[in-house]
Amino acid sequence: MQFSYEVKDSYTEVKGSGRLNLVAASKLREVVAEVVAAGSSRVAVNLEETVFMDSSGLGALIGCLKAARQAGGDLRISGVQPQVKMVLELTNMDRALTPYPTAEAAFSDD
Amino acid sequence: MPASPGTRCAVVIEDDPDVRGLLVLMLKQLDFDVVEATNGLDGIQAVRESHAALVTLDLGLPDIDGLEVCRRLREFSDAYIMMLTARVDEITRLTGLDTGADDYVNKPFSLKEIQARIRAMLRRSRATPTVASDELFRAAEVQQSLLPKEAVMLDDYDVAGSFRPSRSVGGDFYDWYQTPEGLQITFADAMGKGMGAALIAATVRVVMRSVAGRAGIDSAFRAASASIAADLEQSGSFVTLFHARLTAATGRVSYIDAGHGLALHLATGGSVHRLPAAGPPVGVWDGQQWPAAEVDLAPGDSLVVVSDGVLDSFETLEDFMKHVEIAVRAQPTADLACQAVLDLAPADSAGDDVTALIVRRLGTDARQPAGG
Repeated sequence: MQFSYEVKDSYTEVKGSGRLNLVAASKLREVVAEVVAAGSSRVAVNLEETVFMDSSGLGALIGCLKAARQAGGDLRISGVQPQVKMVLELTNMDRALTPYPTAEAAFSDD
Repeated sequence: MPASPGTRCAVVIEDDPDVRGLLVLMLKQLDFDVVEATNGLDGIQAVRESHAALVTLDLGLPDIDGLEVCRRLREFSDAYIMMLTARVDEITRLTGLDTGADDYVNKPFSLKEIQARIRAMLRRSRATPTVASDELFRAAEVQQSLLPKEAVMLDDYDVAGSFRPSRSVGGDFYDWYQTPEGLQITFADAMGKGMGAALIAATVRVVMRSVAGRAGIDSAFRAASASIAADLEQSGSFVTLFHARLTAATGRVSYIDAGHGLALHLATGGSVHRLPAAGPPVGVWDGQQWPAAEVDLAPGDSLVVVSDGVLDSFETLEDFMKHVEIAVRAQPTADLACQAVLDLAPADSAGDDVTALIVRRLGTDARQPAGG
């Protein structure tokens, strides 16, 4: 799984396709750390093409969320697929990581 | 017979003595320590004991077939498995299946060809240092040591747990201990894999045991989770945790679910109800608290806790619940029911540990004699 990012007006969109597992998790952490270090602490992770996420993947999202908040911003997710949604709900993490329909919508309200 | 440092061990599973002799000779030339097995079950045992790096596996064995051997090997071994078959058309069929084998060779084979393939394999695997497999092996040992060794002897209840580690070793464990009132159980899944996850699991087990004597589940869990969270903070990890206390006389279960969400209550009448998590996993947020909830086990009811490794085999939660229910209800004992739940996750696709724990309150017509 490879991640790319694109700086938008009020946020930075991070995108990746495939399975968000142990291997992909560390890549996601690196990419988000890079984005935040570059001064963009409002991060939208587009999960449209992420078909699977395990506990390591969830751990990465949580770690990135904390990093973004520490930098004064936030991390939001969009395009969440059924398996990922299920993991978020089961673990009760859908409250902190609320799925938005699109990356654009994730930061449209503020 | 673990391989000494620097040497690799290979296991030859082959019933034909001539072919076996040839393979052994060829592998010795490649500096392998070689163990021979003439049937599937001995072969599995040999791979387990030797931590073999390479296995040659005949498809047609006298006891169990090569595909089954391969499936069972993949439950614990990362060895390079080369499957040998006498039929050319078999290879085409096998490559289409997810057998778990790394390579297929047609018999009669050329020794040169096999040696070339093994050399290529050795070159590829050099990228994976042996330290990593050592670490995984130790992590697996840590994980095994976390499981309860003593059976639960509780009148009118049948309690069992079962655990199958993944090839990469995750952080699942379950634990139980009897109390004057009944039973306490803990079911946890530490994020990630390998030694890190196994050590976190070990910590969680000790901490949960340390609060077993506290009067209320709320205060016990509050103390335990604060202590675990402090440990987790440094590692940036978290643990999903299901903890329950059973009062045997009434069947009342008080439980706290921190981000696990995979405990099911199977009632005798045919209903199945999932106990939702009351908050996120332990270690996600500082100062988090989780409210306790209660569920009553009537005679014939079961409490089934399953790890997400089993869930991964299903498209939806409903599908998962339905299959777990069918698997559990079809079995006469908690132990067999646990096995049936584990079997829902195919061995070759299980990238995660799979674990199940079942507390069944015996029905009035199904009471077993004490200790039976």
